[in-house]
Amino acid sequence: MKARHAAIAVPAILSMMLAFLADQGQTSTTRARTPAERTSGDVTFTRDIAPIVFHYCSPCHRPGEAAPFPLLSYEDTAKFARQIAYITEKRIMPPWLPAPGELKFQGEMRLTDKQIVLFKRWAEAGAPRGNPADLPPAPVFAQGWQLGKPDLILQARKPYLLPAGGTDNYWNFIFPTRLSGTHWVKAIEIRPGEKRVVHHANVLIDRLHSSRRQETQPGAGFAGMELRIESETFDPDSHLFFWKPGSIPHEEPPGMALRLDAGDDFVLNTHLQPSGKPEQIKPSIGLFFTKQPATKFPMLLELQNDKALDIPPGTSDFVVTDEFTLAADVDLLAIYPHAHYLGKELRATATKPDGTALTLILIPRWDLNWQAVFYYEQPVYLPKGTQVAMRYVYDNSEANIANPFHPPQRVVGGNRTTDEMAHLWLQVLPRGTEEEQEAARRSLQEAVARHDIARDPDDFAQQYNLGAMLQARGDLGEALQHYRAAVSVRPQDAIANNALGGALLAVGEANAALGPLRAAVKAQPDYFPAHYNLGNALASREQFREAAEEFRKAVRLRPDDSMAQANLGGALAESGELDEAQRHLERAIQLDPRNTVAQENLTEVKRLRAGGPKP
Amino acid sequence: MFCIGIRGNLLCWSVLVMLVVLPLGMLRAQRNASPKGVVDLNGQAVDPFHRSPGKVVVLFFVRTDCPISNRFAPTIQEIGRKYRERAEFYLVYPVKSETAEQIRKHVKAYGYQLTVLRDPDYTLVKRAETRVTPEAAVFSIDGKLLYHGRINNWYAEFGKSRSAPTTQDLVDAVSAAMAGKPVAVASVPAVGCFLPDRP
Repeated sequence: MKARHAAIAVPAILSMMLAFLADQGQTSTTRARTPAERTSGDVTFTRDIAPIVFHYCSPCHRPGEAAPFPLLSYEDTAKFARQIAYITEKRIMPPWLPAPGELKFQGEMRLTDKQIVLFKRWAEAGAPRGNPADLPPAPVFAQGWQLGKPDLILQARKPYLLPAGGTDNYWNFIFPTRLSGTHWVKAIEIRPGEKRVVHHANVLIDRLHSSRRQETQPGAGFAGMELRIESETFDPDSHLFFWKPGSIPHEEPPGMALRLDAGDDFVLNTHLQPSGKPEQIKPSIGLFFTKQPATKFPMLLELQNDKALDIPPGTSDFVVTDEFTLAADVDLLAIYPHAHYLGKELRATATKPDGTALTLILIPRWDLNWQAVFYYEQPVYLPKGTQVAMRYVYDNSEANIANPFHPPQRVVGGNRTTDEMAHLWLQVLPRGTEEEQEAARRSLQEAVARHDIARDPDDFAQQYNLGAMLQARGDLGEALQHYRAAVSVRPQDAIANNALGGALLAVGEANAALGPLRAAVKAQPDYFPAHYNLGNALASREQFREAAEEFRKAVRLRPDDSMAQANLGGALAESGELDEAQRHLERAIQLDPRNTVAQENLTEVKRLRAGGPKP
Repeated sequence: MFCIGIRGNLLCWSVLVMLVVLPLGMLRAQRNASPKGVVDLNGQAVDPFHRSPGKVVVLFFVRTDCPISNRFAPTIQEIGRKYRERAEFYLVYPVKSETAEQIRKHVKAYGYQLTVLRDPDYTLVKRAETRVTPEAAVFSIDGKLLYHGRINNWYAEFGKSRSAPTTQDLVDAVSAAMAGKPVAVASVPAVGCFLPDRP
């Protein structure tokens, strides 16, 4: 029996990553050349205004897009001449948050001062049409899907009914992919539904179906401004799939596709603004595949300091900072600053080892409504040892129109719309070979986790992440410390308890593993890994009948898991239930012909059923 | 009927007195001068100032393609419903290029139940000194402009709205007008879509 027992008890320790994610994004890609500017003489639509309007306004101001009225012709534009002059002078339109700086972003939508003067002079002159011969060709836009027909279109299963009035809404839709095998995603096009009420939307991958637990019924979706997605194994988040009005979907460069495994879900997080009438929001997403598997592995580095957010009412310049030193050479591809309604000025800088400083982004007037991910026109090389810093200023005074409280109240860090956030995501691509990139990603991720834990030992996600990373590289002793820290922050958390139990099992402490594993199945009865690991712990203690019960629950949750079937078969065999044992072992081999545990156990069961002596 | 909901008998009395002392000749003169070009969705001339004598008149200026005035639809509808016993509310579409059919669809989509007028000649716009949409105007029972401007301070600027308004400029003016009291603030500029050819 010993040999078979050892085979059963191979613990499949599922290390989990808890990624704390929120809105992510991309800006539109670069459009046609920036229009020319003139500073003297008459200003006419055909010669001076149309090139600016076609470039900066028409992408959104056209039928079917987010803007409320079209700006595609002289008539369209002349009707709003004074208003355009007003809102461009105040830089309300076109919406573009970053101040001009040393680094250029893709698809910059910032007017020059001279262009603004042209609008003003044109409106003051009574919006003259000008010579028809001067009119540039009207812009041509793709109809329907912007990148062509997607390889897979996923529709929201149930629409969300947005009320006519009230405050902004944040709603999440889950899209099961139901694919078999691994696919490589080079682009995701988000069609948010009624574009005029969707302020932004972003797609996150959910490999563990963790978001499904937030739905009251399958397909119903769920409310929430920020998402917390759990993912299995060391797999840091890497890509940004974002939609904002007027954006063209970002297509990843060759070799940088996102891995999509069978059964993965996508979750679409949307920011909705009531329009005055009830709206049905039924988004869809289009996936574009490539046959080329990923050879470049970007990752998202997150600076954040939510713990420092405790903003007294009336304060108009509350400062929050965070710094992080890069543990590897990287190319910075994109940047995504994120705060809520009290954010005022958001700044990120990089100081290289030689002391040169670089402003990565400066947003002098933060506006949550126009948040976006900003892609650099050229990757920004940041050598190992570069210090990246964020400095965010918050305004919790009455003067901040966006303040969700009137009168102002104390605001702290958190996920709700009325809480505040101080986050900065950097999409970086480590340099070097695939192996070097992988090593860099690990050291960067570990450095981020240690950095966050040093500041806040109660940072559950990072204690957990660090434990998972250490376990992945075989440092179980230190991993256990961090899992224990995570469990002490959240004693009821199923995933952390399971990880702690799994790690204890891996170091041979089956007795100690029982407590955390039982806590995990109690906290989340539909959590497959915890039942599986608890079955293994019980089997290690030769409590085979109880072990069989846990494996049975695991099999009920994932009938197609070959190892769960094999271990159920093994535990049943140990309990003397040979007929049933054989059925599960055969099923295990059917699911995975290479399952040697199942093969060995099946041979043993057949021998016993044939009347062979017990070993 | 003017006493409903008004605090204090004296106020009721003063409203009634105002009614009584109103010069009949003036009323008659105004009735004869129907506002130029003001029509309902069937093209019939309408005079909003003389359809309900003795009532305060409130005009809401909106357009079909203005996101700010659209977002105000539930507020406009609610104010109109709440005070309809003592004031007459009109939804005015002043943009000449908007057809009756477009307006009908818009009214239905946004659930408006107010009396709808078109004002392509800007007769009401000028009388109410309106510049943008959405904007409101309150007229006394003798047709005098008492208040014009924003409904409330929900919007502080284009694209900058509060989570909820902290003033109720229009409701304050309507309440004062219905009570026959002076309107404290005669005008507060509105944030909204500029009307073509208005200063």
